Amino acid sequence: MTPANEVDNQAQKLVAILNSTAPFSSTNGKDALDLALIFGSYEQVTSLFFQGDGVWQLINNQDATLIQSKDYLKTFAALAFYDIENIYLCQQSLNERGLTDSQFTIGNVIVLNKLEFSEKLHQHNVLFRF
Amino acid sequence: MTLLHLVRKSAFETSDFQQCIDTLAFGDQVVLLDDGCYNMRHTLMNKLTEVMVIKVHADARAIAIQAGTLAISMAELIDLTFKHNSVITWQ
Repeated sequence: MTPANEVDNQAQKLVAILNSTAPFSSTNGKDALDLALIFGSYEQVTSLFFQGDGVWQLINNQDATLIQSKDYLKTFAALAFYDIENIYLCQQSLNERGLTDSQFTIGNVIVLNKLEFSEKLHQHNVLFRF
Repeated sequence: MTLLHLVRKSAFETSDFQQCIDTLAFGDQVVLLDDGCYNMRHTLMNKLTEVMVIKVHADARAIAIQAGTLAISMAELIDLTFKHNSVITWQ
């Protein structure tokens, strides 16, 4: 997979999916993940961004079955098989919620400060926010 | 006249929880449910002394129930609705 910052000269567009809502009270998180996997299956270069309450989607030990929801969170583990390896988290959003970067269900997340997060987002051509 | 306040939104996302706190009167009780469970991680909790939370909703979200917060069941929530004159839902 080509790193995002080296693709500028190529024809392929970079897709960013920005998650900013908590996992269970809406279908936003699941819709975003479904979209990411569809892009992934067409080998479209796609990055996932998590900001605000979106960061709750990635924390360990969640159990959707307790509230009779479908547990789409387990599907995050499939991202690697679809070559979606750029997963960015906003440091400020983690700080506000008292979260540390050791609490996530997927290992290869990249925590960025506000400026870096913005810069990384600007490197993408097509943005979807959920 | 007392109210039971049901908080269903994250204070990181909306000002509902702040508005709830601003509206509290003596004898009122606050229950966190659904995305309101995330408020246990918010600094606004310092303004409250006695908060309840629906245990399965917090457990589903992997939000630890903090000291001073009472975990209750849905059945207990129903009992609470009869203890108060009215219920207000922040959602």
